[in-house]
Amino acid sequence: MKLLVIEDEASLNQSIVDFLSAAGYLCESVFTYREAIQKIDYHSYDCIILDIMLPGGSGLELLRYLKQDAKTDGVIIISAKGALEDKIEGLQIGADDYLTKPFHLSELSVRIAAIIRRKKFNGQSIVSIGNIKIDTIGKTVNVQEQPVELTQKEFQLLLFLVINKNRILSKNAIAQHLWGDDMDFPANYDFIYSHIKNLRKKMMAAGAEDCIRSIYGEGYKLQVL
Amino acid sequence: MKLFTKYNRINIAITILTFVVGSIAFYFVLHYVLVRQLDETLRGEQQEVVDYVNAHDQLPVIQNTKHQWITVAAAPETITKPKARSILSYNKTEDEKEFIRQLAFSVTVEQQVYLITVNKSETETEDLLQLIILVTIGMIGFILLSNYFINRKLITRLWQPFYNTIDNIKDYQLAIQQPLQLTKEPINEINLLNDSLNKMTQRIHQDYHALRSFTENASHEMQTPLAVIRSKVEALLQDMEGKEKNIQQLLAIEDATQKLSKLHQSLLLLTKLENRQFIPNEMINLSAIISTKLEERQELITAKQLQVHLHCEDTVLPFHQHLAEILVSNLLNNVIRYTPAGGEVYIDLSKEGLSVQNTAANGALNENKVFQRFYKEEQSAENTGLGLAIIKEICTIAGFTISYQYINNKHDFSIQFKH
Repeated sequence: MKLLVIEDEASLNQSIVDFLSAAGYLCESVFTYREAIQKIDYHSYDCIILDIMLPGGSGLELLRYLKQDAKTDGVIIISAKGALEDKIEGLQIGADDYLTKPFHLSELSVRIAAIIRRKKFNGQSIVSIGNIKIDTIGKTVNVQEQPVELTQKEFQLLLFLVINKNRILSKNAIAQHLWGDDMDFPANYDFIYSHIKNLRKKMMAAGAEDCIRSIYGEGYKLQVL
Repeated sequence: MKLFTKYNRINIAITILTFVVGSIAFYFVLHYVLVRQLDETLRGEQQEVVDYVNAHDQLPVIQNTKHQWITVAAAPETITKPKARSILSYNKTEDEKEFIRQLAFSVTVEQQVYLITVNKSETETEDLLQLIILVTIGMIGFILLSNYFINRKLITRLWQPFYNTIDNIKDYQLAIQQPLQLTKEPINEINLLNDSLNKMTQRIHQDYHALRSFTENASHEMQTPLAVIRSKVEALLQDMEGKEKNIQQLLAIEDATQKLSKLHQSLLLLTKLENRQFIPNEMINLSAIISTKLEERQELITAKQLQVHLHCEDTVLPFHQHLAEILVSNLLNNVIRYTPAGGEVYIDLSKEGLSVQNTAANGALNENKVFQRFYKEEQSAENTGLGLAIIKEICTIAGFTISYQYINNKHDFSIQFKH
């Protein structure tokens, strides 16, 4: 999977590339409008991570350019502009998703995975890990070919953990992924613990390995070897 | 008072005063002229008598008429300077008292001095004078009346462009992306006004835009460094397994980043609200929004074991989708945050208003300060202190009124949809 990270803030660009490379993607990074145009002209990517405010031009212009050329690259906008009308504009031009800064890298990773699944497999997509198979379209989970009943939140939680496997996810990141950011969460995030607990119980009962680790109660991690 | 009324009052007062003074002067001048004419006639009569006496040395035979008669009487001495005067006397022929003009002079016939008085009634003069005054007053009245109506009509028409301008200004909103564009009018003064207003709004507009983009850009520019901090924290977190203390510190940094980001978003939203960048012109189903937002927070409510008593009438009202969501979210966030565990929450939506009550942890809030920015009853880390300020501002935009009360150990935030 090839990704292009277009972000002018060098250290953020580096963080994104590091994180996504660790998740198994092949990443290229550019910092300006011109460099981006050159890359887009000669290569195609599974997903482009696009900042809006770039030196030399607007990310939205870049997006229009892409859509004019009928490129099929997936695009996720990462922007400091979080206003509703900015999001709508980006999505109308043809972005697949819109993420407002500051975001969690784990969140970015899940969104990219979703875009790629949509683009590549034409809506037919199974994410599997060990003996667990997750159908992201049908929203069903099978363990050893047996279906497991999960609530919507538990399903989202499992997918989030699986996509970000072997990474420590803070409770804050999990809460924001599951509930969005117009809520404010109590400092202890106790309610997440109960979701994790239920999910673990259900998965283990179905015969899956217990691979969700609590990191001192501060975060969680799905560990696979 | 309208300018026209004010102008009219002054105008009419001065016109009447002028006409009154003028009329009085006119009366006296006219009276003087007419009396002089009368005196002329009397002197003519005198001349005729004197001429006759000089020629014939005897008194003439006198022919009296209704309005003019001559009396003759013997007199002890001559009158050297005869003078005309007005007296009130009885007129036999007319059988009434009237003013007459009288000229007395003496003639000498055969060494005998006679006093001769020529009398002429002033009635005719008075009648003429009366008629003239009457006509004059009639004219004045007519002029005043026609003036009033002409002015009224004319001035209303002349001021029309002014009222057009006023209407334009009234409807003008800064948030609309255009400066005022008032048209050219055929009247210089109005043109001057329009031009100045056009230029003024142009300037205001530029300043407003500069300020707006500054606020927005400043806010956005801060989000990028925050994104850097957050991404580095996330990366660091992965290397910290086994070091609990470090993880806690990193997560504290992450929480602070989160808070800072929210603070910026809230401030940005407040600025936009104050700039009236949202126009509440959609029909919004508030009950649906409340159910959705409550549903989203179900886990939080369960975790705190809150009892929610929801009473929702189907309510659709003109509002703004995004603002309505923020309003409800903020209200619910507040309630969930500040209700002590196991407490009760009452949400009551009707056509008249929305009331949110919750059992209080410790006493009433300061109702004068509760909607102020950054006002916090207690120092809490997660709270930005802007939630209620945002709620209040949204209510103002939508034309709602919000009030806070403390009743029966409950906080009560009530929004009244109509004044």
